[in-house]
Amino acid sequence: MIITRERFNQGMTYDDYKAQMSRNRDRLEENERTLELAPEDVRFFAELAEPLHVLVITEDWCGDAIANLPILGRLAAVSGRLDIRIFLRDQNPDLMDQYLNQGVHRSIPVFAFFDTHFQPIGHWIERPALISEMQGKMLADLYRTDPAFAGIAPGTSLAVMPEAARGRLMQAFAAFRAETRSIADREVIRELRELLARSLAGEER
Amino acid sequence: MEMESGARPPRVSIVYCAACGYEPQTIELASALMHTFTYDLGAIELIPWQDGAFDVAIDGELVHSMYRDGGFPAHDTIIQAVRQRLVR
Repeated sequence: MIITRERFNQGMTYDDYKAQMSRNRDRLEENERTLELAPEDVRFFAELAEPLHVLVITEDWCGDAIANLPILGRLAAVSGRLDIRIFLRDQNPDLMDQYLNQGVHRSIPVFAFFDTHFQPIGHWIERPALISEMQGKMLADLYRTDPAFAGIAPGTSLAVMPEAARGRLMQAFAAFRAETRSIADREVIRELRELLARSLAGEER
Repeated sequence: MEMESGARPPRVSIVYCAACGYEPQTIELASALMHTFTYDLGAIELIPWQDGAFDVAIDGELVHSMYRDGGFPAHDTIIQAVRQRLVR
């Protein structure tokens, strides 16, 4: 399915999306307010040769969306070069199914970039690859070194995990989220810049 | 269904992805168990988690896993699994 201007314009603006959120708006706006943007990142987006349309697929219950959508929102606000329209995943399966993660998963958020003629430029899904990698390593280290996980296989469901191990896992994830926040934010911006730079450079060749 | 005298009442643990908005399915399953078994359950434990989880264990035995089995469990499946433990 081709994304037309008409279909794109059926989406919500960023402000309209925030106004209709039924949960987590405070977290999203806090993330937006506390995001640290480097001058060179602002310059990159402000100096895009042409304004870009950005189709976003999200839901207000999604942790990755609450973390990453405000980054796009701030970049749009400070650059004036990103025209965002937001669609709810569960109400727009026709859009979602065009951007499946690894061809299978309905992961969100999705940021799909289009030029002024609605030609696709590229899309970004869910979270930075580096954060997924770091999370995997954190878990592997925890299972290997923490006595609470002795005899427990990685991937064991929390539903059958002993209380001590469950508590340690919850603590470890909370600490990981707090410790990697700034890295994750920087990685989102780096990956978006890389995606656009690569695609737009390809167009110029 | 009456629990056999002296048996330890089953404990049901439901792990749900709080980041995914699975609260309604969690509450519905817990409610179905409450209405079916009234006083015969030792506990219904609701555990918020992430990564798309929806798992159900009875007395430490995993009877449904979204990763393993796919999707949400039918209430009847979980109710039947509890009944089997009540008559053991």
